[in-house]
Formats: sequence, structure tokens, C-alpha cells
Amino acid sequence: MNSSPLQKAGILAFTLVIIAVISWEWYVRSKGFDTSYDDGGALWTDKRKMVYEPSDITTVFVGSSRIKFDIDVELWEKLTGTKAVQLSCVGSTPLPILFDLAADKKYKGKTVVDVTEVLFFSGAPPNRATPDENLKYYKEETPAQKAGFQINRFLESNLVFLDKDRLSLNAKLAKLQIPNRPGVFEFPLFPDGFGRSKFSRQEYMTEQFLADTNQQNQTRGVWGTLAKMGAGMPPPSPGKIDTLFASVKNAVDKIRSRGGDVIFVRTPSTGPFWMGENMGFPREKYFDRLLTVTNSKGIHFLDYAATKNLQCPEFSHLSMADAAVFTKEIVRVMQEEKGWTFSHATTSAN
Amino acid sequence: MLLASYIFYAAWNPPFILLLWLSTVIDFYVGRALYTQPDGHKRKLLLVISLIGNLGMLCFFKYGTFLLDNFTSLVNLMGADYHPAKPNIILPAGISFYTFTTLCYTIDMYRRESKPVKSLLDFSLFVTFFPHLVAGPIVRPPQLVPQFETPRTASQQQLLNGLLLLSLGLFMKVVLADSMLAASADDVFNERSPLQTLDAWIGVLAFSAQIFFDFAGYSTCAVGVALCLGFVLPENFRYPYAAIGFSDFWRRWHITLSAWLRDYLYIPLGGNKNGRFRTYINLMITMLLGGLWHGANWTFVVWGALHGLYLWVEKWIQGFRKRIPVPVIVAEGTGAIPVMPKDVKKNNLRNFLLAMITFFFINVTWVFFRAPDFHSARQLLTSMFSAVRNGATILTTLAIIKVAVIVFFLIIFHWLMRNTSVIAVANKMPWWLLGLIWAVLLILLIWSQESTSSFIYFQF
Repeated sequence: MNSSPLQKAGILAFTLVIIAVISWEWYVRSKGFDTSYDDGGALWTDKRKMVYEPSDITTVFVGSSRIKFDIDVELWEKLTGTKAVQLSCVGSTPLPILFDLAADKKYKGKTVVDVTEVLFFSGAPPNRATPDENLKYYKEETPAQKAGFQINRFLESNLVFLDKDRLSLNAKLAKLQIPNRPGVFEFPLFPDGFGRSKFSRQEYMTEQFLADTNQQNQTRGVWGTLAKMGAGMPPPSPGKIDTLFASVKNAVDKIRSRGGDVIFVRTPSTGPFWMGENMGFPREKYFDRLLTVTNSKGIHFLDYAATKNLQCPEFSHLSMADAAVFTKEIVRVMQEEKGWTFSHATTSAN
Repeated sequence: MLLASYIFYAAWNPPFILLLWLSTVIDFYVGRALYTQPDGHKRKLLLVISLIGNLGMLCFFKYGTFLLDNFTSLVNLMGADYHPAKPNIILPAGISFYTFTTLCYTIDMYRRESKPVKSLLDFSLFVTFFPHLVAGPIVRPPQLVPQFETPRTASQQQLLNGLLLLSLGLFMKVVLADSMLAASADDVFNERSPLQTLDAWIGVLAFSAQIFFDFAGYSTCAVGVALCLGFVLPENFRYPYAAIGFSDFWRRWHITLSAWLRDYLYIPLGGNKNGRFRTYINLMITMLLGGLWHGANWTFVVWGALHGLYLWVEKWIQGFRKRIPVPVIVAEGTGAIPVMPKDVKKNNLRNFLLAMITFFFINVTWVFFRAPDFHSARQLLTSMFSAVRNGATILTTLAIIKVAVIVFFLIIFHWLMRNTSVIAVANKMPWWLLGLIWAVLLILLIWSQESTSSFIYFQF
């Protein structure tokens, strides 16, 4: 059979692409990579659509990265019999999402709000960029994007190399770490084992990360850089903080008026991170006052024996094993001390 | 195919299909009446109805907010305290493109330059054919309608050419425009403080390359997809950054729009037939409206004005030197693709330098095209052309390298390809080399893992 040159070229290209994809997939799996989902607007939107389930079978989590690491979604669902809808965004204030839920007259669910003070009380625009982008995506999602999400979900579930944050062309180029000119800010890189994302939007650290102090120190270094940047910024003024408290109270009242409820949770941090946070945002002036102003219940990790000594490997987030401990404990506290009932809860939380 | 095209359009915003249907049905019947109506007055009336219908829809959706803002500013300037509520108008995808497509049909019918389309289904497919619907190329009825009249099956050669173009188009859009260039352009154009000269220039170069790869990438995909289905769409880009002069640029950039503006605006205004002064005026009107077509903002008008100014200067120099007898916008002929002057085909250093000078001035125009407002544009131009004390350094070394490498190869590639085409070169290449290049394009496409950015020209 005679083939045209273009046909031969096409066959060669197709063959090379298949070989390259299989080789790359095999290589990244051999390096310990596992499935991780792109935690962008499409995945967030998928979860946002789930908040309308009746409140007795759904709990919505809003916050920043800590609660994404610290709540073990599968365990939560097993213990409570409810669906855990994770709407938190990495490096972000939860307020735009809390306000959106409050403004949504159809929403009347149980809401757990993670308080990472440095983000929660920050008015800095970059800290609300991701929530705003996700909300925009949710409100403007097109049929094409819906279809694309389902295709992506299938591909990401089966191909490990589809990991934009770690294995894409740009991610690999960024790892070259080419020195910059003086004055240029480049966001420091997280190690590969930190912040992998499940389809539930739960994040976790890999076993390699937990066994590798270099990776942990690299992550601590990122926090150090961010802390230095934050130290150069003026603290929020008392007036702004008062306005913020008032707006949060307004949002909480709206959710409660429809039959929903809100609990604030202070997730663990340790080491210098906790010391810095405690100095900058003392509990009584921020977390406790938040509970008072909004007339809400709260769970602070320091108040419970099971959680107060949990150690964050990189000072700010829990390992999977400790996330299970934390999850189990806050489910217990919510049920036994805070009056939350989960009608489908399993009888034993052991 | 028609059903597939409607589903394609509905993938963005289903309700706007109604608008598309309305435009299609009105122009089909008005077009037919324009062709058959013997009474001159009635024909003019029908044409006016069509123009008001098409342009009215475009004005409402695309320019409604802009017109209201300007009206408000004007009356406030005159002392009135008028502050209307901001209208919340959503721009239907591709409205500028399909409005121009249907407009050219009714104008052609009025001029009786081609015969009316016999079937509403064929006309609907001409307007809605999904490869060109949302971002061009802007097609004329004689280019596409005859292709719908007989069943079509893509030949193996067409299919392979189409797949090659589709791969190339996706590579241009996803890998180069989105993955490599968009972030640098966005960082620079969104920066509110003055920049170092290097950052400013790299940002502008990044946008120059991004907008080319984004839009030409879409056009290449559109031509490729159509070829896979056995249809031929007109070429929309021909290596514009190798243009020698600004009239040459417009023969290479968004070819179907510049041909549309030439045939349906510049020539009806009188073209170059009424003396030098009127030629200059007609030219400027065409470029100003061409600028406004791109977006409802005065920055786009200034972008068009700059191009008009460049064309004036070029025309003046040509008239002065009488060495390069190139009309600014070719008046003769009605084909979509103007003929390239013979004497700019030489590949010599002088022409290359002229191309680089052209590229330099084109970059200046992109500042107004991309900047959100005049303050940003002025600030960026200041950073580009003067040493700003304590200007911000925002681009990483990696970002600078990416932009510099891509722009360098973009220019070289355009220059080497300026008198040929991808398909012609591909078909002459050894099959193994083509296969290797094709594989690299696809591997980089998969590796880049970009998935969500829409095409810049969808907003127009």
C-alpha cells in the first residue's frame, strides 16, 4: 500500500506521542507521584453546586488551606453520614465565599468556617483573588466548561502526569530556579510532596514528604518568606476589623435566619508559625471576639487534649494521620458540646 | 452540520442562539428581497432595515454600555447631574464576526454582486458554520455557500492537512499564547506602578506574540477543522510580523477583516478615487471604525488611529519617493485576499530591517490595544521610552527568557515563511522530519496542561 508523506508523518507523530505519554506516565509513577486533581475553578464549582443538599446530610467547609489538609473528608463522611463539601481555597480568606453563601437564599446548610487569622482578617486583595475567581467561574460556567470538567475528571483520575502544579511544562521550567534581578519577587516553590489534591478537594502531604526533612524545611522556608512579606505590611486598622466583624455577623445571621448554622474552627499550627500568629492575632482579640460578636460556637485546637499537641510537619498543616485525629475529635466536640446533630451519624466514632 | 454548529454555539451561552436565528432569518429574507426587488427606493429601504437590524444589535450588545458612559460624561460635562444605573449587558460570543458575515451578504445582494442563497438551511449554515462562527475568518457567501450545495467528504490529503493545521493551531494557542506568554503580558499590563524599561518592553513583546498566537492559532484551528470536514475557509493570517510596512501588515493580519473593511467601508466611502485628501480621510475613517470594531473603548479607537496615522505616513513616503507603488488598501478586486506587491518579495537585509521597523511601530499600537485605560497606556509607554527612576522590576528571568526566545523565533519564522505556507512547506519536508516536528507540537501541547483560557478574539 502506498502512503502519502503526510500520512507517514502522521503515523510517526502519533506513535512518538503515544510512546512519550506512556514513558512519562511510567516515569512519574516510578518516582512516587499519585493522582492529583487540578484544584481550579471547575473543581470548586463542582463542589459549590453540592451545598443545596439538606443540611442534615451536608456540611460545608470554608476557609484556607489548613482545613483542606486538616479535615479528612472520607472519615468525616463515615463518622457523620453527611456529605463534606470542601469550598476552602489555598492562601485565601474565606470571607468572599461565606458572604456568597449568606447571600444565596437557597443555602441553609451547616457551615464550618476555618479561621487562619492572618488570612481571615486580611483585607489584602491577593488573599481574595482565588475565591473571587472561583465564584466567577461558578456563576458563569458554560456548558462547554461543564463538559470539559467531566473529560478532565476522567483523564486526571487515570493519568498521574496530569498534574499542572508539579509536572506541567511551566512547573518543570520553574524548577530550574534561574536567579532573578534584584527586586523581582518570585513566589517560592513548594516541594512536590506538599499539597496534593483529591477529588474531594482535600489536600495532603505524601509519605515521601513526611519522611523527607528537606521537603519539610523547604515548605517552612516558604512560610518564612511569606511571613517576612506580611511583616512589612501595616496591620489592619481597628476600624477595618470592626467593619469585618460586623459583616461576618451579618452573614452568619443570614444563614441562621434560613435554618442553617455556622461554627468557627481554629485549626492547629505549631512552632514559630503558631508563635507569630499568636503574637499578631491574640486569641482573645480575634478568635474569641469573633465568637462573641457573631454569637457563634467555636472550636479551638488548644482547648482539647486530643488536638492541642498535634504537630504540623511544616508548622501549618496536619499530616493525613493527624488529620484523622483532628477530624474525629471535632466531630465528637460538635456532637457532644456544640449541639450539632448528624442524623445519619454512625453510633461509634472510634 | 447545522445542528452541530448550533450545539457548538450553545456551549457558551444557549439563549444567544435566538439572536443568531433572528439575524439569520432576517438577513436571508431581506437579502433575497434586495436581489429581486426592482424598485430602487424599496431596495434602499430594505438595505437600511438590514443595516439598522444588524448594526443595531451589535451596537446594543457591544457598545450599549460604552455609549451610555460617554453620553453620561458628556451631559455631566455640560452641567447636568445625570447618573444612570449601569446596564448589565452580556456580549454574545462572536457577535462582531457573524454580524459582519451577514452584513456582507445583504450588501452583496443590494449590489447584486452574487446570487441569493437558495435555501434557508444553506444560508443558516453559512452564517453558523462552527469553525468560523465565533472568531472568523469572516467569510463571504461565494467562498462558502457553493461548498454546501453538494455533499462533501474530506479527501485523505485534506484530512491530514486539516489535522496538521489543527495541531499547529492548538500548539500556538495553548502552548505559546496561554502557557508561555499570557502571564508576562498580564503582569506588565496589570501593573499599576511605573516599570523598568526592560520589563515594559518584554511585556509588550509578550502581548504582541500572545495576540498573534492566540488569534492566528484560532484561525489555523478553524481552517484545519473545516478541512477535516472537507470545507475550505479563507486564510486569515500570513506571517504579519514579517510585514514590510503597514499596508503590508494589513494584508497579513486578520486578512478577512481588512478585506471586509476595504470592500464594504473604504471603497464605498470613495476609496482612493477622489483625490489625495479624501483618500487620507477615508483611510482614517476605516481604521478608526476598524479599531472600534475590536472593542467598546476609546483605547481601541486610538489603536485604529495610530494605524491610520502609520498608513498616512507610509502613503506619503511612497508618494514622495515613487519607488514602491503600493496602494495602501488595494481598491481593485473584490477577493478576500489582496495581492502582495512583487517588489517586497525579495529576502534581503534592507527589507528585513524595514520589517523590524514595522514590527517596532506595531508593538507601540498594541499598548493601546491591551491597556485597560489611557493612564495605563501612557505609563507603559513612558516606561518603554524613558528610564523610569525606581521603576518596578516584576518579570522573572525565566519569564524574560521565555518571551525573548519565543519572539526571536517568531520573527525568524515569519520572515522565512513570508512568501509560502505551512501546508506547502510541510508537503515538501521529509516525512520523518515532519513527523518529528508534529510529535513535538503534540507532546508540548499535552505537557503544557493548559485547559481553561478562552480565545482573546471571542470577546470581539
